[in-house]
Amino acid sequence: MELRLPELSGTKGEIVLTLWRVKESEYVTEGQDILEVVTDKATFDIPAPCGGKLVGIRKKEGERASVNEILAEIMET
Amino acid sequence: MGGCVVRSVGGVAEQIEVMDLGTMPYEEAMKVQSRVLEKKIKGETRDTLIMVEHLPVLTLGRLSKKNSIIDERYFRERGIPVVNAGRGGKITFHSTGQLVLYPIVDLGARKKDISFYIDFLEKCVVRALVRFRVPAERCNGRRGVWVSGRKIAFTGIGVKRWVTYHGVSVNINNDPEAFSKMHPCGESDIKVTTAKEVLGKELDMSIVRKVFEEEFISALGSEYGAKTQPAVFIK
Repeated sequence: MELRLPELSGTKGEIVLTLWRVKESEYVTEGQDILEVVTDKATFDIPAPCGGKLVGIRKKEGERASVNEILAEIMET
Repeated sequence: MGGCVVRSVGGVAEQIEVMDLGTMPYEEAMKVQSRVLEKKIKGETRDTLIMVEHLPVLTLGRLSKKNSIIDERYFRERGIPVVNAGRGGKITFHSTGQLVLYPIVDLGARKKDISFYIDFLEKCVVRALVRFRVPAERCNGRRGVWVSGRKIAFTGIGVKRWVTYHGVSVNINNDPEAFSKMHPCGESDIKVTTAKEVLGKELDMSIVRKVFEEEFISALGSEYGAKTQPAVFIK
């Protein structure tokens, strides 16, 4: 399943990845916080949409991302 | 330092917890906030407004830059700690006389829009300050609350499972000198003020807390919409 950046705000703003809480190839559970992003005055924790193995991280910490952009994938177990 | 006073307020339709931590060191308050946040995420508590004054501390948001502290010696000589805060925004300073609000609110049950929520927080602060006849306003394109071009309130939040934490700090009676030893919010051109500086007198912090509580709950209960009632001025 794809991990996409959700819509966080009605106004457009720059979103930056600040912290991958899980490393690639590690297993996550559904709902587990795996990525922190920041927009102007807010940090937002993105949870895993399903349980599985985190693979294919496409964005590094410090990089910008857009709403709905694919950030990584989770291989469901 | 004060103890923790917890009250439930609101009508039958919606009750909110108000948690007054008095004066509390930052890291201790963060532990309290974390506990409330986790309970709220699990659905075990109501939306909660935490109010507190911190002992002097510099906190760094996720976007803080290393050169935001102009005079490190000033803070070191005073034993003022520097703490990484898991929130948005950049660097700011807290001390007694500054009211800090940490609303723990489930946006998932209201409106999933972070900018809208920060707008709401700032509007609450403006309405509360205006009741003390502080001519506070929001500034188009710049976050925070301002008085004649000087910043009086600072926002920086966190959101987990669409539940908010951290919030806003408002300069009331605190000494603003420390802000001149750093770049508040990472910006070099910001001047800072306090309600005491604007009004030429100190405010009673117990009344300040009461008014901020009233304005926050009023706006929250009306789904962020600011009520069109006239302000009740504090004498």
